[in-house]
Amino acid sequence: MRWFFLILAIAVVATVYALGPRGAKFSSPPFMLFPDMDNQYKVKAQKPSDFFENGQGARVPVEGTEPLGFKFPVSGEGVGRTDLDFSRGSDYLNTGLFGDFYGKGFPGELTMDAAFLERGRERYRITCAPCHGDSGNGAGVVSKYWAIPPTANLIDARVRDMPEGQIFWTISHGKGLMGPYNGVTSVRDRWAITAYLRGLQAVAGN
Amino acid sequence: MRGLLHEMGNIFPRWTNLLAIKVLVCVGALGTCVIAVAWYSWTPKYTRVGYMPQQPIPFDHSLHAGQLGMDCRYCHTHVENSAHSNLPAAQVCWNCHGPGKVKSDSPKLEPLRQAMDENYENYTGKPIEWVQLHKVPDYAHFDHSAHVNRGVSCVECHGRIDEMPVVYHAKSLSMSFCLECHRNPEQALRPLDQITNLGWKPEDLEPDAFYAYLAGKTGTGADDLKKADEGKVWGQELIGIHLQKAWGVHAPQDCAACHH
Ligand code: HEC
Ligand code: HEC
Ligand code: HEC
Ligand code: HEC
Ligand code: HEC
Ligand code: HEC
Repeated sequence: MRWFFLILAIAVVATVYALGPRGAKFSSPPFMLFPDMDNQYKVKAQKPSDFFENGQGARVPVEGTEPLGFKFPVSGEGVGRTDLDFSRGSDYLNTGLFGDFYGKGFPGELTMDAAFLERGRERYRITCAPCHGDSGNGAGVVSKYWAIPPTANLIDARVRDMPEGQIFWTISHGKGLMGPYNGVTSVRDRWAITAYLRGLQAVAGN
Repeated sequence: MRGLLHEMGNIFPRWTNLLAIKVLVCVGALGTCVIAVAWYSWTPKYTRVGYMPQQPIPFDHSLHAGQLGMDCRYCHTHVENSAHSNLPAAQVCWNCHGPGKVKSDSPKLEPLRQAMDENYENYTGKPIEWVQLHKVPDYAHFDHSAHVNRGVSCVECHGRIDEMPVVYHAKSLSMSFCLECHRNPEQALRPLDQITNLGWKPEDLEPDAFYAYLAGKTGTGADDLKKADEGKVWGQELIGIHLQKAWGVHAPQDCAACHH
């Protein structure tokens, strides 16, 4: 009996020691005793798939084609995604260009109201402010780590005099050292940011 | 006859008198220990919390999201309008870590250069293969946008990511974890512009601005709302109950909401 309890105590201590406490860091995938339907053979967003040759689950449309009658998924109440959010077309709304020239003014498809400007403010804070600063003066947190040249000041006369289309185009495709942001901001958000930027410039008295 | 019985009585020595009890005690003790250990460690609180896989690039959230103050949505751009919260494309990193920018030749960023730098000798053009940590089983449905647009912050389910040099699994994400909040969502709701501010505290909220917002949402005057709350403690519970009512939050508890 005494021996039994001694061995039991040793076994318990050894098991608890080997298992470790809750919350301890470990790097091998979590243990699953019954992984019955946890990992089904289906493709989820951004996940690999061994079915396709290149190992990527996501498919790319065939070059030069546009899906016919395809509706983009719309979700997220309050955000209200619409077709206006996705760039696919060569009109002013989607490119900021009239022919080969940057256009002036905002596209007629968009309604300029307080909510639109508020959206622009929010997106500017998220996407642009790390580099260009909250006020647009080019002194964001990250600009300090940036070697050359100083991140552009968005409230000076040069950018103020740019047509709206050019600012939209710059966000979409980048310029010089600034990379493109078309992958992370929707078409409508890019125009909203442009509108908010106009507001910042006005506040700065330019 | 008597003698025979007497002899038989001696077949079992004295110590066997307690044998059955001893065996019971031992089996009981063993069983208790096994159950206790399983109770403690056979639960998502043990099997998942703390999962911290090695990533191809030692990406540091405490630097980017904490120190540099970048919003989660700079990288996790679709978290508000899709079920899936995406990881950033390599282009997003490249915009800051490209040639002539920040730490562009750091050895830690080797996989990024392989993915993006066409002039680099080891260029492959393949996406960076981040290791996924958080996962609901494929038979349960989870939607980020439903939560994030209803005032549930990232911190409720992912912990203080902005303080983690390496991301780890901070919450169990078990079914009981989901349901605990679905039963009392007011304990978690906060204004929509504070979703990605993981350090937010209810006390930081300005009462006047909050009542003005509620008035706009519900049509009741801000002063009336304020008067009705007199004497109540300003904190998470009060804010949560107001927001729940104003937004008509209904966190489902029926099985089909998550299993369909
Ligand atoms: C990663 C840092 C970074 C971010 C984020 C960033 N920019 Fe820039 N931006 C720059 C740099 C650097 C320049 C200067 C480019 C040059 O002249 O080489 C610049 C230049 C510009 C210019 C001037 C272009 C010109 O023709 O001179 C505009 C307009 C601009 N940015 C707008 C934006 C907007 C709007 C956003 C948010 C969607 C944004 N930027 C986000 C770094 C950034
Ligand atoms: C500069 C880009 C960037 C920012 C900003 C950022 N993240 Fe991330 N996040 C990543 C990358 C890249 C990964 C994948 C690598 C990893 O897990 O460390 C990731 C991983 C994660 C994961 C784990 C994903 C999984 O596999 O389950 C969570 C959760 C997360 N981020 C939440 C946040 C939150 C919350 C914030 C805001 C406080 C934030 N992130 C800000 C880039 C970013
Ligand atoms: C807005 C700009 C910005 C973006 C976007 C960004 N980083 Fe950074 N990153 C920085 C800054 C600034 C530093 C700090 C550099 C320093 O300490 O000198 C840094 C540091 C790092 C380091 C440490 C480098 C070293 O050698 O110490 C790594 C690794 C890194 N980033 C990875 C990433 C990855 C991966 C992504 C994409 C998910 C990313 N970063 C996106 C600005 C950015
Ligand atoms: C209500 C809980 C909850 C909230 C709030 C939440 N998440 Fe998640 N997150 C999850 C769950 C559950 C998963 C696993 C999803 C899956 O398996 O597809 C996840 C996965 C992720 C992933 C990894 C996705 C992948 O498949 O690699 C990222 C990145 C992430 N979340 C970021 C965020 C950010 C950023 C926020 C805040 C804006 C946030 N989450 C808010 C529960 C939550
Ligand atoms: C911290 C609180 C919280 C946690 C944790 C949480 N939820 Fe929720 N969830 C909510 C709230 C609040 C709503 C209601 C949203 C609304 O009213 O639209 C909701 C709604 C939902 C919905 C309905 C969405 C829709 O489209 O209407 C599903 C499904 C769901 N949650 C699944 C989950 C799962 C799965 C988990 C665990 C991984 C989880 N939730 C964890 C707060 C939470
Ligand atoms: C809020 C969302 C939600 C609701 C409501 C919900 N579940 Fe679940 N359920 C989950 C999640 C998430 C998991 C996966 C848990 C895990 O991985 O640890 C799960 C797992 C399960 C499992 C599998 C357990 C296992 O380990 O194999 C069963 C069975 C189950 N649920 C039954 C139910 C039943 C019955 C109901 C209705 C009374 C219900 N669930 C309601 C989210 C939910």
